[in-house]
Amino acid sequence: MAAGVATGLCWSLSKVSIGLLLRQAVDEGIEADDTDALLRWTVAIAIVGVVAGVLTGLRRYLAFREARLVEKRLRDRLFAHVQRLHFSFHDQAQAGDLMSRGNTDLQHLQNFVVLIPLTIANLMTVIGVTVILVAIDPFLAVLALGALPLINVVAKRFGSRLFPSVMGIQRESAELAAVVEEAVAGVRVVKGFGAERTLEARLASEADDVYRESMDAARTRAAYLPALQLLPNVGLITVLGVGGHRVLDGTLSLGSLVAFNFYVILLIWPLRMLGMIIANGQRASAAAQRVAQVLSTDPVIVDAPHAVSLPSGNGALDFDAVEFAYGHDDADGRPVPVLHGFDLHVPGGTSVALVGATGCGKSTIGRLLPRFYDTDGGQIRIDGVAVETLRLGELRRAIGIVFEETFLFSDSIAANIAFADPDASMAEIERAARLAGAHEFIEQLEHGYDSVIGERGYSLSGGQRQRIAIARAVLADPRVLILDDATSSVDPTKEHEIRDALAEVMDGRTTIVIAHRPATIALADRVVLLDDGRVLAEGTHEELLVSSERYREVLAAADDDDDADADADDETLAGPAVGADEGVEV
Amino acid sequence: MWMGAGVDEADKLDRAAAQRVLRRTYQLLRPHRRRMAVAVLLAATFTLSTLAGPLLVRTGIDDGIKEGDRGVIDRVVVLYIVIALLSYVVYRFQVVAISRLGEDFLRELRLRSFAHLQRLSMPFYDREKAGVVVSRMTSDIDSLSELVQMGLLMFVSNALLLGISVVVLGLVSPQLLVLCCLALPPVIVASRKFQRDSNTAYLDVRDGIGATLSHLQEGISGVRVVQAFAREDVESDRFERRNRGLYDAHMRSVRISAWYLPVVDIAGTATTALVVGLGGWWVHQGDLTIGTVTFFVLTLSNLFEPIQQLSQLFNMVQSAGAGLKKVYGLLDTEVDVPERPGAVDLPAGADIVVDGVSFAYADGTRVLHDVDLTIAAGERLALVGPTGAGKSTLAKLVARFYDPTDGRVTIGGLDLRDVTHESLRRTLAVVPQEGFLFNGTIIDNIRLARPEASDDDVAAAMASIGVLDRFADLPDGLHTEVRERGSRFSAGEKQLVSLGRAALAAPDILVLDEATSSLDPGTEAVVEEAMERLAEGRTTIVIAHRLTTAARADRVAVVAGGRLVEVGRHDELVARDGHYAALFAAWAGSQPA
Repeated sequence: MAAGVATGLCWSLSKVSIGLLLRQAVDEGIEADDTDALLRWTVAIAIVGVVAGVLTGLRRYLAFREARLVEKRLRDRLFAHVQRLHFSFHDQAQAGDLMSRGNTDLQHLQNFVVLIPLTIANLMTVIGVTVILVAIDPFLAVLALGALPLINVVAKRFGSRLFPSVMGIQRESAELAAVVEEAVAGVRVVKGFGAERTLEARLASEADDVYRESMDAARTRAAYLPALQLLPNVGLITVLGVGGHRVLDGTLSLGSLVAFNFYVILLIWPLRMLGMIIANGQRASAAAQRVAQVLSTDPVIVDAPHAVSLPSGNGALDFDAVEFAYGHDDADGRPVPVLHGFDLHVPGGTSVALVGATGCGKSTIGRLLPRFYDTDGGQIRIDGVAVETLRLGELRRAIGIVFEETFLFSDSIAANIAFADPDASMAEIERAARLAGAHEFIEQLEHGYDSVIGERGYSLSGGQRQRIAIARAVLADPRVLILDDATSSVDPTKEHEIRDALAEVMDGRTTIVIAHRPATIALADRVVLLDDGRVLAEGTHEELLVSSERYREVLAAADDDDDADADADDETLAGPAVGADEGVEV
Repeated sequence: MWMGAGVDEADKLDRAAAQRVLRRTYQLLRPHRRRMAVAVLLAATFTLSTLAGPLLVRTGIDDGIKEGDRGVIDRVVVLYIVIALLSYVVYRFQVVAISRLGEDFLRELRLRSFAHLQRLSMPFYDREKAGVVVSRMTSDIDSLSELVQMGLLMFVSNALLLGISVVVLGLVSPQLLVLCCLALPPVIVASRKFQRDSNTAYLDVRDGIGATLSHLQEGISGVRVVQAFAREDVESDRFERRNRGLYDAHMRSVRISAWYLPVVDIAGTATTALVVGLGGWWVHQGDLTIGTVTFFVLTLSNLFEPIQQLSQLFNMVQSAGAGLKKVYGLLDTEVDVPERPGAVDLPAGADIVVDGVSFAYADGTRVLHDVDLTIAAGERLALVGPTGAGKSTLAKLVARFYDPTDGRVTIGGLDLRDVTHESLRRTLAVVPQEGFLFNGTIIDNIRLARPEASDDDVAAAMASIGVLDRFADLPDGLHTEVRERGSRFSAGEKQLVSLGRAALAAPDILVLDEATSSLDPGTEAVVEEAMERLAEGRTTIVIAHRLTTAARADRVAVVAGGRLVEVGRHDELVARDGHYAALFAAWAGSQPA
């Protein structure tokens, strides 16, 4: 920053001195008919011109380097910070809102930072020129410069008037884009009902909105740009009129008159930029607040002060009178408890299926164990140690989880599977894929494991994505495995293959299975029926079928959804899914 | 928008492509010739008026100050004031005229592209990724609007300023103009190099922005997975590397302008020095007046600044040109399922005949072989078969989403290729598997099928299939807003809206792709009931996924391996112990215990 400011000051010094050299050249060279003096001053102008030119480039470079560095560092910090913020923060934050803080807000900041060294130099130029002109002829200086501060005022007002229009254009363009996206995503409906005209009318109205906002912006430009153009002319006209008479009076040299003209033109840009920085500064301070808001939110779930290592063990789990509520309040403003005196012991190396109606808290258990949330009461222990006292990274690395909603990264399939351990060998990746029943379809893809998936790559079916997520969890060879409805999108006719594979993975590994299909439930050694945030009954699948009416009810409700799930992999009228499974249907 | 911000080959524009784009744009602008002429005239007037100031200074010095004539000075000042006010007014009109021209062009381009997009048929949508199609109308046209909103004005005025300045300077003093032109070659060479380098750097920056933002996006939406696998540090490092790439691209771009700007700046000052020095010497010789030298000193910036500004605009022009090229590419895409000239209207209440139909996708994959099938008016036919067997394709051919590769589909003896789109869509409606909701109210969504229908018509149509109560009971009733593609509605409810549309359209022929997505048990029954009522008295082709649906149809057609293998009544086919019986057995086996 200091280098930038110093360069800027040298730049303004050299720019300002050119006007003085010009005056000397006219007065002592041309007017005095002195060719030697003319040559001298001309060479001086050329040399100072070269210096000023080099400084122009340098000051621009330094200003942008500083600004881009600030932008980059803040974005790095923002990303790293967001990665560490607890789940409950992300439950409430909107992804789009966080994005705009990492994108547009940082750009506003960058735009402002770049102006700081430039503005200091510009301010120096304005002061320097004013001092020189006042020294030459105070009266004429006041007349010539009098109108110029208005440039600053007009430029500032221009910036703040234009801003809402620009935002309006963005808003309306986004609405137009939404109509286009809909028309493309829903093209089958449009074609199926011949609704082309209706959508064209809708688009036309959006296009009109964009047009209106754009012309508003154009009218704002039309109101201010000519004014910015006119104001310097006021200075030039005054110099010509008053200055001309003064030259004839002999109180002003012709060189000074030329210098006055030169300086009025020199000041146009610095003054306009001074106006801009005020408008930019307001935007930047709002942006800075929004960024700071995120950075100053402390992660809630962190290592305890004297966190301990996970002792060796086979993953025995204890849930002791666990209480938990998410932030959602009921009608009286009290948090609704999800778990309420939940007790469960899972011996190391055994598996348990959690079964219950929607909202009974079964998924919550899978989220409390890796400390995505902390309990409100009671204790959860893994191999005898309370999870809150463990080092967070170790705890999470010891747990493999397959989420209900599959999220894969835009990367190769191999990299996605090796997410827990980027150094994993190809053999390990393949083994994990086989265990998840994903190997066959991956092999069939054109680029196999190197196929890139996501936004700009292959689109996989829901069942295929889920199997990659299972492979990802398996690869880390976790002490505890949590399968949260992990096979819900897999075609039931395929599920038996994965079931065999899962049985192998679960063998001798502590596993929590959250499921509603009887076949999946049957994978677990034991079944626990949850109701209203606590354990209602436990036993084997067969035992519960006999002993618990509630268990039969819950399973029956789940059955109804089931053949529906079967078709997540299916071909639809929408066209064949890429690499869809060969399901059978009637 | 950041997702589409990547750079591909199509973003680069060679000379031939640029010429094609220009010609095409000129054709589109031809109807606005007169307004273009007015805009250019205004811009030229304004440019002349900006040059008038320094010219008046020259007169003031030479004829006023040098001659000691105070009257000249006063007259010059008055004239200057008049011209300044005039230029103020002209400038205002110029901004509005140029912007309106540009915005009109953009609006027309949007409407045209969308209309064409709507005419394009299903094969196009199968070929192209949705994101790419959308970007034609968003980021590609947006890159133009950037040019229109800021660049066009600058482009026109700088080009005119450069041209007119050269002429005026030459008229005032040819010898001084020659001096000025000495500095031009290095400036032009530097400008060309700048254009080339900065375009590469600009594309790098755009690429970097796209990559960084999609990484950021993924980091936010995938944060739970990252934390579950304790990968926060690794991910932050990866992001830092990506972000570093963007920073480097930015800095490359800054370095390019950091050497270019001084070249222009130095050339400008050096020329000033030359004009003062040599010009002053010529004044001593009596060849020039001091007013002329002053005039040149004050107008020199008119030569160098436009070159610099035009160079900096080059990127904007370049990417706008690339955007236009892609939009024109879309407009030139041919409609795969066109309406033949002289097409006739479809008759009502006629039989559908599928006559020796084969179909292959554009990539050569054959999905249907020589299918013959007649569906009598009023009949209900269920299509069943394994995934990928071709039953959906068969339905799509009847709806003319595609044209058959061989054979023909006729309705009432008319080949579908000879009927008007309008009458086909009036006669035949397709209810896709997934209920798709558009933004707007429930009523808007249903009215999509018949825009002129009144609110009462919509309610009556919904009541006729028994789905009205489901929505009328909502707090805002049928006027409930659908937000975010209907995320607050269940799959079953979306399906009900879809069926409501079909009821309002009241077509002769209905093609139904049975919903298979998660339906809650309560809605399931309503959907089945609605489908049943909808099919009443209509020719119906239903792509069945459930045994029960197939059983209710008049006839079942089994498609396997792209061939029609069995046709008959449900109980007949079950008894026959063929394909259908096997499918039935497999289906029964996959049902949960």
